[in-house]
Amino acid sequence: MAKINNKTKIEVTDGVLIPARDDSSIFSAWRIAFYGAISVLILLPVLSPEPYCHIFKFVVGFNEDWHFDFGSSGLVKTFEVTVLSIICALIIGLLVGLGRISRYPLINRICTVYVEVIRGIPLLVQLFYIYYALAKFVKIMDISAAVIAMAICYGAYISEIFRAGIQSIPKGQMEAALALGMTRSQAIYRIILPQTIKVVLPPIGNEFIALLKDSSLVSILAVSDLLRRGREYASTAFYYFETYTMVAIIYLILTLFFSRLVAIMEERMKTDVNQG
Amino acid sequence: MKKGIILLLMVSIASFCVFTGCSKEQAAGKKIVVATDATWPPMEYVDENKNIVGFDIDLLNAAAKEGGFTVEFQNTAWDGIFAGLAASKYDAVCSSVTITDERKKTMDFTNPYVSIGQTIVVKKELNGMDKLEQFEGKKVGAQIGTTGAIEIAKFKNITLKTYDEIGLAIEDLAKGRIDAVVCDNPIAANYALLNPKYKPVLKIVGTPFTTEEYGIAVRKGNKEVVDMINAGLAKIKAKGIDKELEKKWLR
Repeated sequence: MAKINNKTKIEVTDGVLIPARDDSSIFSAWRIAFYGAISVLILLPVLSPEPYCHIFKFVVGFNEDWHFDFGSSGLVKTFEVTVLSIICALIIGLLVGLGRISRYPLINRICTVYVEVIRGIPLLVQLFYIYYALAKFVKIMDISAAVIAMAICYGAYISEIFRAGIQSIPKGQMEAALALGMTRSQAIYRIILPQTIKVVLPPIGNEFIALLKDSSLVSILAVSDLLRRGREYASTAFYYFETYTMVAIIYLILTLFFSRLVAIMEERMKTDVNQG
Repeated sequence: MKKGIILLLMVSIASFCVFTGCSKEQAAGKKIVVATDATWPPMEYVDENKNIVGFDIDLLNAAAKEGGFTVEFQNTAWDGIFAGLAASKYDAVCSSVTITDERKKTMDFTNPYVSIGQTIVVKKELNGMDKLEQFEGKKVGAQIGTTGAIEIAKFKNITLKTYDEIGLAIEDLAKGRIDAVVCDNPIAANYALLNPKYKPVLKIVGTPFTTEEYGIAVRKGNKEVVDMINAGLAKIKAKGIDKELEKKWLR
């Protein structure tokens, strides 16, 4: 495999800071935030079980005797929505990303218009639209509506990542493949895409974290995720400060944890590219 | 240029004086700010002209007129409405608040002004189910933080779905995403008997299974506002205005 330009990196404009080990200031900030959040999460319920312990059990999904109740868990719902959405968004993103570099003007135009339209509508409005407005024609259950809306929205952003990733592969790769007698689609599937995946994985990891955070928006559709469970607790027990503190800390731990995973992945990808 | 800056300064000082003057006047002129979640017809809702109207609104306005104070309504989302009260963002909450022991721990209430009960709304084609315990294993919706939601939560095997607004729960019921909705009987009647869109598809089953009383919630210890509103309520009760309003809004 020919040498790839090592400077190839897709610019990430939003999302969380990804702590790489060689970037000491962000990495130590990450450590302070992560271990600080974990110790707060442990200390609060231990020091004042009423109400923090109750809030933790209610939001995460334990019943009174610490039995994990899968069905009523806000944490499980949040993950369910996030993971299903990112899978669907990846499929949509790859197809649309390929469509954006297609030589057929019609496909190209359709995909570009899709990206422009979706990126111009706020996610919250899209959620309402798919759940309440489209319910006039098709009956979609709550989780599926949430997943469809999140996937359609994030598919547009991820397609841009795929497009940029594919275009970042040097032109010579395609020319060499064609010179070896491959067809254009063969070249894309066998030569271009495998290299693209390495380039796009870190930004996609970043999108995953952003999606995890945005999944709190689905609480508006009466999907009982982390935030919804917190709001349910607060609205009847009136512990607003305590409840939202716990919810914020749980989200913080999740995003920090995943941002570190993405950073590790990025580091491993880097060495891989160098060897190749 | 200098003149412009001086002018600007004068204008800002003048407007500052006007604004502070206003707030002083509020404190002296017995004007109270009242939060209401105007998504609960016919008790309080936003009409076509974007005004907040309803039984609660008319009642409190009448009480204010009799008691010699003025009321300014502020539309607030229900699930944070008591947090705003505790944080002094407004003086009272008049929004179909049921007086419960749990709520009494964190806020004070005026005397009750109307009594209602929780009712079950289902789709027209559902027959033979008129008690909440019959809905075990099914999905039942209510507005977040309402007494309806609290009643449903007492049954562990019913999947409770909480909505930000009761209208969204009713819409989901009509679309078949949930099996029933529990809410106060005036609201149930408004949607299932009067609303032209939901009248053909929804119905009320059974009789109200709780007895609850609405009161106006006031920040804990704020006796001045409680006494003021109670005096107004007593006067309109003596004049029979509350009965007229019940006839007008609740039928």
